[in-house]
Amino acid sequence: MGKKISAMDIYKLLPKINCKKCGESSCMAFATKLQERKASLDQCPILQSPKFEKNRRKLEELLSPPVKEVWFGYRDRKVVLGGEEVMYRYELTFFNPTAIGIDISDTLSEEEIRRRAKFIEDFVFERTGEKLKLDFIALRNASNDPEKFLKALNIIQESTKVPVALCSLNVESIERALDVVKSKPMIYPVTEQNFSEMMKMLISKKKKDKKEFAVVLSSSNIKTLKGMVKASLDHGIEDIILEPHTTPENIMDTLDRFVMIRRSAIERGDKLLGYPILGLPINTYFYVLGGNNPVRQFVKELDKAAAIMEASAACAMLNRYADGIIIHGTEVWELMPILTLRQAIYTDPRKPQTVEPGLYPIGNPDENSPVIMTTNFSLTFYTVTGDFEKDGVTCWLLVMDTEGKAVDVAVAGGQYCGENARKLIEETKIGEKVNHRIIILPGLAAPVRGDIEEKTGWTCVVGTRDSSQVGEFLRKNWNRILEEWRAKEGAGN
Amino acid sequence: MDVEEMFKLMNKVDRLRIDSIEITAEEIVINIPHISPISIPQTPQIREGIRRISPEDFKIEIPDVDWEPPVEKYKGYIREVQLGRPKSEGGRGKVIKIGGQRALYRFEEVQPNPPVVTFDIFDMPMPGLPKPIREYFQDVMEDPVEWAKKCVKEFNADMVTIHHISTDPKIKDTSPREAARLMEDLLQAVDVPFVIGGSGDPKKDPLVLEACAQVAQGERCLLASANLDLDYKKVADAAMKYDHNVLSWTIMDPNMARDLNRRLISHGLPGDRIVMDPTTCSLGYGIEFSINAMTRLRLAGLKGDELVNMPMSSGTTNAIGAREAWMANPEWGDRRYRLPLWEITTGLTMLLCGVDIFMMLHPLSIAVIKEFGRLLVTKPGEIEVSSDNYQWIRA
Repeated sequence: MGKKISAMDIYKLLPKINCKKCGESSCMAFATKLQERKASLDQCPILQSPKFEKNRRKLEELLSPPVKEVWFGYRDRKVVLGGEEVMYRYELTFFNPTAIGIDISDTLSEEEIRRRAKFIEDFVFERTGEKLKLDFIALRNASNDPEKFLKALNIIQESTKVPVALCSLNVESIERALDVVKSKPMIYPVTEQNFSEMMKMLISKKKKDKKEFAVVLSSSNIKTLKGMVKASLDHGIEDIILEPHTTPENIMDTLDRFVMIRRSAIERGDKLLGYPILGLPINTYFYVLGGNNPVRQFVKELDKAAAIMEASAACAMLNRYADGIIIHGTEVWELMPILTLRQAIYTDPRKPQTVEPGLYPIGNPDENSPVIMTTNFSLTFYTVTGDFEKDGVTCWLLVMDTEGKAVDVAVAGGQYCGENARKLIEETKIGEKVNHRIIILPGLAAPVRGDIEEKTGWTCVVGTRDSSQVGEFLRKNWNRILEEWRAKEGAGN
Repeated sequence: MDVEEMFKLMNKVDRLRIDSIEITAEEIVINIPHISPISIPQTPQIREGIRRISPEDFKIEIPDVDWEPPVEKYKGYIREVQLGRPKSEGGRGKVIKIGGQRALYRFEEVQPNPPVVTFDIFDMPMPGLPKPIREYFQDVMEDPVEWAKKCVKEFNADMVTIHHISTDPKIKDTSPREAARLMEDLLQAVDVPFVIGGSGDPKKDPLVLEACAQVAQGERCLLASANLDLDYKKVADAAMKYDHNVLSWTIMDPNMARDLNRRLISHGLPGDRIVMDPTTCSLGYGIEFSINAMTRLRLAGLKGDELVNMPMSSGTTNAIGAREAWMANPEWGDRRYRLPLWEITTGLTMLLCGVDIFMMLHPLSIAVIKEFGRLLVTKPGEIEVSSDNYQWIRA
């Protein structure tokens, strides 16, 4: 582990007057928030005064993460890369989710460029109340012609406001694109081969024309990459991204380099390697499309196989510190797992993934409405309520405190059980709201049906495996279930 | 245009304006003897251009810096567990070893054994399996023996997991004896090692596992599972008596995993007969909890904690249960690819957390996980790379 700063180290440099202008109750509380990266130095007005400039500088240095935060795009629509502090998410959390870029070739027709750019801008996959989106366009100079490159850039800028990566091996193309680009672009790539020429152009653009950009340094040799970083910093170029080559023949070599870079930065304190990492699953896509199909026994179509292998490479990289990736495939079935995995990895483990347990009326339930019991895992809760809303389900939804575990996990772990059901029924007084004693359980909770019936005295009906089937299940069965229960009760009395 | 030509031109016209100039040379000496002095002040651009080419910024070099691969030293190691018994010892043939790592990452030290995948099969037809999977096994679902054969012959299975699902009292309540009879048939039909699974019924499972363990004596199967909800001692006893391994299953809690392993070991089961399953939650349904649990367990094992340095198993099949995998929904694209990719993503994530054995369903997902596993045990640089990293720009 690298150095770990304490809240006390931070506190010592703060004004220590507890003015509360930052929104916290005291300077110490502010220090704790800063240490957890839940607050920023800008919140303290005192620190902005000249008297505190020295302290502010020290604090900035102290608080800067071992992996520098680098952004590109528009001021009001940024892609932020890096800023990471730990090797494993359980140690703290990961901060900036891996940015996902999709390529656009400048050899496409005007109409195709516009359509693909709009697709990237508009794509949304919604899950658990969160809108998962794509982040940037990687415009590639496939024509190698600066004119075509500029034209494509202008089409993209006119029709969308998506951050752009300018990708070309032609220095002239990049140079001229920098003159017309309306945002702060990512520039790809500075290589061992073009290093001097590309850097000279970029330095001149930065110094003379005051152009802003984030630059990608690319080499399969980490030592060389580190040297390239040093040269860039020496010339005043500080917004750096590292691209240690994606080799489709053996993705493990690539993943190793990602880990070596990140571990050097975080655990060995190597500042020159403390920059975001860019991965290129797109290399895997074209490699497979070119006929290297490792799954030909099952998938003959090369574009489908390419998409499957590209998504696999992308997911592997998400698990190995990629701060940005560029992909080619745009099939929704390819993007879904990538976006979902990103959401999972970058979920803050310090925040519980739960909703408040209790009783939630769905629709306008009355005394004859069904009672359904789920868990307080937020993923489960949002999925269930989303489905119910879509399908017009009316019911009383009991949300059990399963410590934020999904149904199957909570059944196996013993949180979804008769005892907790009994407590929930008592606390919510659901018995006073309905004139029956029936609970519908999720299909996955079938194994604990007996336990729940025994502890609560309510009749349990095992419902469907998935909440999307509940609407149909109720329409077909609820009246019958209710009548049968009443008949039985009547007979019993 | 070269310099000679330029001078000729200047001689002719007396004036020359150059807008953009690029001069590439190591050193430039320009003598202008023939031109009248008047013309010189009128070409300031040239002079400026020449001055700019000073030696220090003419070429930006990549400096040589120090860097060593950040290799850690680990006090501990991961135990190696053997599955199956070789013919030379009277077994059926195939032997598989898992675990044996001495480092966390491949660049530190390549792990000795590739991860393996074991195909899930069931002792009764499973009409509830999603269509993209059923279409591969529809013809053999009625007969678990044929099902196992198909996995091995057609899909090159390393191992097979038989789930004695029908032994569940709420399903068919098949007797342990009948389960054992099926077990015998399976052992004769294929030569790969087995994972033996029950139905998940805590009362019945130990009995089913014991009966199957007996008929598979000496075959070093993996009994799935011992957990804190059932009589784990009985499962451990069966493993010790009939020479098998035990899957120690807990719910995403490293301390619970440690506790169960401790209990199994203190009951007499050797530590290298244990494989841990800290639970795999599907992608989108809590996989991040599994990531944390697996990572912590593997790190603790490598740091020398001998109660958690066992190889790890993943019930990757859980991914199929995610609605994003199985549900037919045109908005989500073709399920034939979406379903296996959901399982692949779940499995790959677990692979990179250190999992050694995968229980999976879809033959395509299995092929991809095995391919990544094969690459994981190659030495860095062993596979020649001939692709151009920048080809995609021009593709």
